[in-house]
This record gives sequence, structure tokens and C-alpha cells, in this order.
Amino acid sequence: MRTEDEVSGLPAAPLGVPSIPDGLPPAPELGGAPEPEPRSQWQLFRRRFFRHRAAVIGGGVLLFLYLVCFGAKFIAPYDKNHLNLLLGPTSPSKEHWMGTDELGRDQLTEILYAGQISLKIGMAVALMSTAIGATLGAVAGYFGRWVDQVLMRMTDLFLVVPGIAILAIALKRFGQTDTIIILVLAALGWTYVARVVRGQVLSIKEKEFVEAARAAGASSTRIITRHILPNCIGPIVVNTTLGIAAAIVTESTLSFLGFGLQKPATSWGNMLADSEGYYSHNTHLLYFPGLMILITVLCVNFLGDGLRDAFDPQSHH
Amino acid sequence: MLTFVIRRVLYSLLVLLVASFLLFWFTRQTFDPTSRLRASRDKTVVQRERERLGLNDNIVVQYGNWLKDAVKGDLGTSSRTNEEVTSMMRRAMGNTLQLIIWGALISAALAIGIGVFSAIRQYSIPDYLFTGLSYIGISMPPFWFGLLAIEVFGVQLGWFKFVGLHSGDGSSYDVDYLKHLVLPVATLCVQIVASWSRFERASMLDVMSADYVRTARAKGVPRRTVIFKHALRNALIPLVTVMALDTAALFGGLIITERIFSISGMGRMFFDALLTGDVYVVEAWMIVVALFIIMFNLFADVIYGILDPRIRLS
Amino acid sequence: MRKQRRGAQLFCLLFTSVLLVAACSSDKKSPTGAGASSSSSEVVPQGGTLVIGAEQEPDCADWFGTCGGSSWGFWMMNVNTMPRAFDVVKDSSGTYVFKANIMLKSEPKLETTPKQKVTYEIADNAVWNDNTPITSTDFKYTWDQVVNGKDIYDKTGYTNIESVDDSNPKVAVVTFSSTYPDWKQLFAGGYGILPSHILQGKDRDTEMKDGYKFSAGPFVIDSWVKGDSITLVPNPNFFGPKPHLDKVVFKIQADTSAEFQAFKAGEVSVVYPQPQLDAVDAINAGLPGVEKEISVDTGNFESLWINNSKAPFDDKIVRQAFGFSIDRDAMVKRLFGGLGVDKALNVVNAKIVKAYSDENAFSSYKLDLTKADQLLTGDGWAKGADGIYAKGGQRLAFTIKSTAGNKRRELTEQILQEQLKTAGFEMTIENAKAGDLFGSILPQGDFQMGLYAQVLTSLVPGNCTLFCSTNIPTADNGFSGNNWTRSNVADLDTQLKIVDSSLDENARMAAGKAADKIVADNALTFPLDPLPNTLLWSSKVLGPVQDNGVLGPFFNLAEWGVAA
Repeated sequence: MRTEDEVSGLPAAPLGVPSIPDGLPPAPELGGAPEPEPRSQWQLFRRRFFRHRAAVIGGGVLLFLYLVCFGAKFIAPYDKNHLNLLLGPTSPSKEHWMGTDELGRDQLTEILYAGQISLKIGMAVALMSTAIGATLGAVAGYFGRWVDQVLMRMTDLFLVVPGIAILAIALKRFGQTDTIIILVLAALGWTYVARVVRGQVLSIKEKEFVEAARAAGASSTRIITRHILPNCIGPIVVNTTLGIAAAIVTESTLSFLGFGLQKPATSWGNMLADSEGYYSHNTHLLYFPGLMILITVLCVNFLGDGLRDAFDPQSHH
Repeated sequence: MLTFVIRRVLYSLLVLLVASFLLFWFTRQTFDPTSRLRASRDKTVVQRERERLGLNDNIVVQYGNWLKDAVKGDLGTSSRTNEEVTSMMRRAMGNTLQLIIWGALISAALAIGIGVFSAIRQYSIPDYLFTGLSYIGISMPPFWFGLLAIEVFGVQLGWFKFVGLHSGDGSSYDVDYLKHLVLPVATLCVQIVASWSRFERASMLDVMSADYVRTARAKGVPRRTVIFKHALRNALIPLVTVMALDTAALFGGLIITERIFSISGMGRMFFDALLTGDVYVVEAWMIVVALFIIMFNLFADVIYGILDPRIRLS
Repeated sequence: MRKQRRGAQLFCLLFTSVLLVAACSSDKKSPTGAGASSSSSEVVPQGGTLVIGAEQEPDCADWFGTCGGSSWGFWMMNVNTMPRAFDVVKDSSGTYVFKANIMLKSEPKLETTPKQKVTYEIADNAVWNDNTPITSTDFKYTWDQVVNGKDIYDKTGYTNIESVDDSNPKVAVVTFSSTYPDWKQLFAGGYGILPSHILQGKDRDTEMKDGYKFSAGPFVIDSWVKGDSITLVPNPNFFGPKPHLDKVVFKIQADTSAEFQAFKAGEVSVVYPQPQLDAVDAINAGLPGVEKEISVDTGNFESLWINNSKAPFDDKIVRQAFGFSIDRDAMVKRLFGGLGVDKALNVVNAKIVKAYSDENAFSSYKLDLTKADQLLTGDGWAKGADGIYAKGGQRLAFTIKSTAGNKRRELTEQILQEQLKTAGFEMTIENAKAGDLFGSILPQGDFQMGLYAQVLTSLVPGNCTLFCSTNIPTADNGFSGNNWTRSNVADLDTQLKIVDSSLDENARMAAGKAADKIVADNALTFPLDPLPNTLLWSSKVLGPVQDNGVLGPFFNLAEWGVAA
């Protein structure tokens, strides 16, 4: 098993969905961790971020999607799950912008409501796994020695079996609800953040300002939360955004395998899984849910890249 | 070097042991090996089987027994077909290895090729194209990609086949076999090719702007030599790490790919076992996959150690 | 990097818009293919290999054991290799009847006094593929295996046999200790007859489970590559008409959609798919070069099975109100309309035994919310603020369970859920895998309503198994009865017993019809649809390709051929 202090490459991506790196975090020996920046650097960050048009657009579209989906109650043209058995599946038309499915349900409505679940899962998993991972990674990195060893061994254990397998079993065991999906995905996804944060903490903790804080008698908790973690914001935020993408794609994969949400709860993944046979007719059923996932994940990736560049201008380009 | 390898192997065994126990415990908790027998007309058979299989013992004892048998090569029998798990595994592995080996080789070749090319010709049109494709490759749910690929290339264009690895009941390794291989391997690897190529590109760019490279260029060493002799080798090092770690993702991705393309490999076996609650198969699968992943990581560690002497000495 | 990003972003935009356009474009209409089934008068060429899609791989080929109950296993391998006393064929009027197989010289003789006795005369040329003649000892061995063998799936009927006389190798005389009217499915049905000269003294299960090389049918199992394919080749010593084909390969593909794709691409030439909606839509959109046969006269019937011993359905009024709260016709029309089935099934029985059933028993149960409301309010229920009925603090809510992973069933449940919500019932969906459902959930009564199908494998009207109170599974009998609905109506028991034990056909038919009426009046369960069978084959497949509601679509595989 590889441990962080021996490798100067990127650690494993969240749950097997590889991230797109544009730059490598510099090797620890070169001391390339970002210098602690005083808060007034915010303007610098904002300027760097807004220069990346793709990231800005990605972020904007993402925000739009969240608003539209969670505001479905007000925006959707029809009620959720409103059947129209006589109508059956129809192509996109004036009355139904995204067409209807086999039971005559308006697809635009269904997509909006399904988006609530997919986006919620994405966000929740990302936040939870980042919170857990950042905490554990910071603790491991700061206290070192056996705490660090235990944590690293734990992450090794998590890497040993494909997450999908564990997920599928857990869903069978505990039921197929969005809460379980969120919990299990978060439980499997924290290792990535933990490693990144640990790496950062390792390089920061020897710096002078930390020494000074310790000399002044600050407790470990205070040092970690007020001095160290804020300087790891970069990778943490980037990972959160990428985690959203990974969670949404994994959830759709699970639905396809049949381990997704129990009906009538829908998510984009569920809708996509249900549309499997519609290749040459009623193709709208196959494309729209997939497109929503594709667009969301693309935006998340653009946003993540923009954030990464904004936080760490030393990564090239 | 030797101590390095030995240390690594021992550590890996320990991880395997602990992981296997946890997985075993988890699986036994979730599934009941005798559930299928409840449908039988003979109602005492459930009790008899529980005794015979030692299911009433303490979980650690059960694990111990299972491990003892596993080391001897006996992984139990499937509760669905009564076939020995070991032979099922051998058969499934045969098919899966074809996908994984081809997949890893082709992905590595493509990723390195694309990555290096994009780095050398940064900002050219092909570079944009590849970058765009990479983003899309990462962002698409792989099973969606698979389904669309089947429709476009399999049904509409008819270029490739998509049922199993051979037509009819054939078993030869010929053009027909290749036609069957393309789509499943593509589906399995679309994400890792996209990610690895981006990684390699970044790594390459990183290295190409390093001081020692610039020095070499300044000294008049031809570009090609610089790239292939110095830059590439160093750019490969971090990629090896990522590649080894992503193998875990490959095993997970197999479950989808084999289902869509009706290939009866490890992924398919796991999926069927999960659906029918075939405990022994699930347990064996977890352990074998864990073993493989650990082996891959070990392999990558050693290669890394060979390529980067700093690691060996730490 | 900015240039990089913009280029990449542009590309992504382009790709995404292409997909968007593809999504919005109207359905492609492909030219309609021929709809009629092949005529049997065309000349079938000799030779060729045929690849058929198989949706399910059997767990084992030991037909007598608990693992051997797979329908596909029966259709693919059993029907074409195991000798059987009776075939099930369609007569001139289109009704399924038993007909003596060519392994018998003539129709078996039935004597009813003093005891039931059946005499089978085996044809002189009936041999196994190793040229050993089929003898009465084979009958005796088969009976012995069923009654005394290890791990037998179902012993019904064989346990009524007192003795099998094999003193004359060509004549088997079977004497019954108690009458068994459905004797024609013995030494036939899902089992067949075993070769005593090969299996005597050996473990039947071990010899058969992974495939076996003996056969008395037109084909022999050549190989079974688990997870991949099953191959049949002609039996050179078959005593009947030899097959035209050189080889038949059943390619295993569990996914209906993928199987359909394979069929369209020509990788398999025949498919027998579950009637999933996307397959049906594709069929109706038209498939060039494809012929199809949709049979509604099948042994299947799918119903909403009610647990009559659990609230809220232990109350007959609630059950009846339920029947008036749903629109079964609309549901069936939506789900099966594409296959030409647009009326709900109105009897809890399969079409192939229609002689014994009252096909209009449930026709009075149509959507009538006023009537439903009348019934419920009369029974003390009142609609709450949430639109759901409640009585004495209990809401009219229940859970439905069905087999997981079946898209059509999920759609059925969703339709039900919405219809019931309007009517004032609250239904939750909780699906389970088939093994659990049929293995423990239903037998143990851990359900309120179940959605699943029964499949008859013989022309035996077997509703006593389903509705007689003696068959209720309880903890005492180890949950072994099949009356999962826990129906307990004295009149019903009487009628169904007549069907099961009388040797007077007319009496049986009348009793069967009466029984169906009782089931309907008591709303013990609600039938939904006859689950049609769909058989599709490429036009290059020649011969009398057709489905058989009992023996499956490959019963006459020997007569099929492929165009050169």
C-alpha cells in the first residue's frame, strides 16, 4: 500500500471516478504548498476565478440547475407523477417540452423533481465526505505518529475493494433510500480528501506561524481549526465540487444495476436506467436524463478546475 | 530493494487479512446462505444445512474455517447452482482478465500517447479536441456511454458485435473475437483513458518546464531526445501511481460492462450472486478482487521504486 | 490555458447540443415487417446453425430437483431431450389437448375400477441415443426417483401411485392407490422419463445437473458453457423425424433490452422476450425482416394477490371496494395494448384451462369510485383531510410487494399507486428479489398484497393448490402450502376438491366455473392480465416456428431450418 509521504503524485480520486488534473501539486520536498495568505487575498482569488470563463459559466449553470430543480413546485408545468395512461409516450412537443414517458407523465416535470434528488445526493455526499475527510486528515497530519498510522491503514482498507460492490450490498441490507445512498457514498469517499488534507497539513505544520501559535499556548484544536485548515481550503473546496460529480454518476450507476432508489422516488439516474431500451424510438427518454447528468457533471468539473486554479496560481497555466 | 519489497508484501498480506475479515463479516450479516432452501418442500433441510455449514458458530470461528478452506483452494459451493465456487471463479476470471488486460494496455497506450502528444502540441486543435473529449469522457455515466455505443456502433452501423466475447459458441481468437472486444473495452476504459491522458499531459508539461530539461535544450540536445529520454520517463512516474490505484475502479466498472455486453466474467458473477444472495460467491469474489487490487498496488509500488530511487531509500 | 479551456468548452457545447437535437427529434419510423407466422408448407433446407437468444440461464439441468424448476431450462433442454408420455398440442379448434407422444404405440388405456390403472404401451422403435430401448423399467425408476429420491421439487401425483409393473419391458402398468385425474402429466410434464440403465445406482442430481449426454429426443446436449451458451446437436439415433438443423446455440443474455439489440443486429435469430414495454414499442414501430407471434392463450396469469388474513384486506368490503377503485382495463391496455391485449383478465386462471373456468367472473369489477365510496362509508370508513380513508384511527394504507428488477411490474405498481391515491387508498411499494419473495415472504404471509404471475406447466387446472384452506401455509406445516392468499371459504373448498378428484370431466368443468365465481364474489384476489408470450424470429428462420403455451417455443425445434 502506498502512503502519502512516499508519493508525490495525486492520491486516489473519489470512489474511482478519476478527476481531471491540470496541474500537479508540487512535491513536498520542493516545499511548494501555498504560502499562508492573509484574508485580504480574497480579491485576488475572486479576480483569478472570474478570469476563467468556463468555470464561471459552469458555476452559473449549476446554480441555475439547483434553483430550477428545487423550485420545481413553482416552475413545473404539471404535477409530479401525474399519469396520463391514454397518452402514453410522446415526443417533445408544445404541451410537453421534453415529451412524456410510458405512463404519460410529463418529462420536464419529472426531470425537475428528479433533479432535486440527484443534486441533493451530490451535494450532501460531497459535503459529508469532505467534512469527515478533512477532519480526519487534519488530525492525522497534525498529531502524526500512531494516529497518523492508524488513519493511513484505514484508508488503505477502504481502497481494497471496489466501492460499487460495497454500496450494492449495503443498499440491499439497509434499504434503498436516498439517505442510505448518501451515508454509504460519504463513508466511502472520505479517504481521498483525508489524504490530500493530510499532505497539506504535513507541510504546513512545520511553518513558523504554527510554531508561534503553539508557543503562545493555543490548544491543538484551535491551531488546527484557525490556522491550518483555512490554508487547506483550496484542495478541500476543489474536492467538494468534484465529489458532487462522482456522487451523481455513482448513483446513476447504482440505479442502472437495480440498486437505486425505490420507486416512486426518482432521480436522474433512475430515469436513465429505466430508459434502457429506447434507442430507435422514444429516444427522448434515453437522452434527457443522461444529458442532465452530463451537463451537471461537466459544469462541476469546469467549476472545480476554475477553483483549483484560483486557489493555487502556482499550478501552471 | 529487497527489504523494500518484502516489507511491502508483508504489509499487504496484513491488509488483506483485515479487509477480508471485515468483508466476510459484512457479507454474512447481509445474506443467509440457506435462504434458497426455504423454498424447498422439505422443511428440515434448512436446519440441517445450517449445521453442516457451521452457520451457528461464532463469526470469528466461521471466518477461521472459511479461511482454512480458502487457502486449500475450497471456496465453498454456490447456493444457486451447487457448482464449486473455485471453478466458477476460474471461468469468470478467464473472461474478465481478457477485458482488464486489453483494457489496461490499450488505455495506458492511448493515455500516454494522447497525453504526450497534447503536451508537445499544446494549444493546437487536436489538443482542444482531446481535452474536450476528456471532459466528456469523465462526465458521462459509463453505462450510458455503453448503451449509446451499442446502438450506434453495434446496431446502426454494425461495425462491432456486442453479445459476449464470441459469436455463437465459438472460442477462437480471431477477427470475430476482436469485433466483440472493442465495445466492452471502450466502455470499461472511457473514463480512465480520459483521466489518465489529462494526467499524463499535465505531468508531461510539468516535467518539460523543469530546469534540467531547459538546461538540456539550452545545451543543444535535440527536442526529440529530450522528450523521449528524459521528460517521458519522469512524467510516467506519477502516472504509474494513478494507474495502479484506478484498477479498483476497473473491477467496479466490470459489473456494468459485463452486464451490458453479456460477458460472463467476474462482474457478472458478482451481480448475479448479489441478486440471488449467493453468499459464498460474494465472499469469494470480494477476497479475490481485494487480492488482485493489492497485487496491482504492490506491482505499482515496485515499479515506482525502480523508477524513482528516492522512494526506495526512504 | 484560457485558450485551452475555451476550445474544450466549445467542444463540449457542441457535443451536448448534438445530443439535445437527437433527443428532441421525432421517432424514426422503420418499415413494417411481415406480421404473419411462417407457414408450414415452405420447404425447409437441411443443415445450418441457428443462434437463439435465451433470457435466463437455468440453475441446473436436474429437472427433478429444486434447482431444476427454470422454465427456460425446460424449454431449451428438457423438451428436446427427455422422452415424455404425453405432448401438449393445439387441436383443430385451437384448444390445447394432451396427445400421446411417438414413444408410445397408442393412447394409454385408463381403467378406473377397482383402482385407477393406466397401461402404457411403448413403441418398438423407441430407443435412447445409445440404442438401448426405452423400457417400462424406466417408468418404474422415474416413479421411484420422484417418491424416494433426494431433494425432489414436487411429488404431486406420483405419491398416488401404488405400483409400476415392468414385467413386460414394452408395457408399463401403473396402478394408483387413490384417484389422480391429472395422470396425463405424469411421466411427462416438467419431468419426463429417466434412463434407468444409465442412472440406476448413481446420484441423479450429480449426473444431470450440469447437463447430460443421454437423450431420447431429436437433440442431444452438446455443451453447456456456463454463463455463455448451451449447444444442442441432432440425436443420430432418434426414432422420430430427424432435425433439419446441424446445430442450435442458445446464447444467454439476461437483459431484455440488450437481447433485443442483439436480435436487431442479427447476432441472434430468435428471441422470446418478456413483454417489456420498450420491446413492445419496438415491435410495433416495425422491425424489418422479422416475423412475430404473440400468443395470449398461455399458461400464465398475473394477478394482484391479496393476503386475506391481514388488515386491511381481512375485511371483505375493503377488498371489494379495492376492486372498484382501480381501472384494470386501462392499466392492461397501457401495458399490453401494443401486444393486442387491451382488456383485463377477468378470472384467476390461465387461458389454456379455459374449459374449466368462468372467464367473466370478475367482469363486474370496473372503475366505479362512487360504488367504492358507498361500500367503504357503509363499512365505517371516512376520508381524512389527506384524502385517505380512515376508520378508528387506522388509515387505509398497505404495502405491495413484487419481483424486483422487472420494469413492467414497476410501471404496474406506479399506475396502481396513482389510481389508488385518487380513490383514497395509500399504497407503498416494496419489491424484493424473486428468491426471497417466493421462498419466504409469500409463504410466511409477510405481505398485504403481492403482484406476481402463476405459470401452469400442464393442462391441469390446479386452483385447489392456490385456494383450498387445507393448503394454507402455517408455522405448523413449515409454511409449505401454496395457498399464500390464505383463502378460507368452505364452498370454495368443496368445488375445488371436485375439480381435483372427480374423474367426470363435465362435473369438473362445472365445479371449476363455480369456484371461479366464488373467488370473484369474495374478492379473494384480483386478476390483471394473461401475460402474453412474444416470439420473434428473423425471416431467414424457416419452418413451423410457433409458441406452445405449455411446452414453450422450442417444442418443434426439429422442424426448423435456416435459409441458405
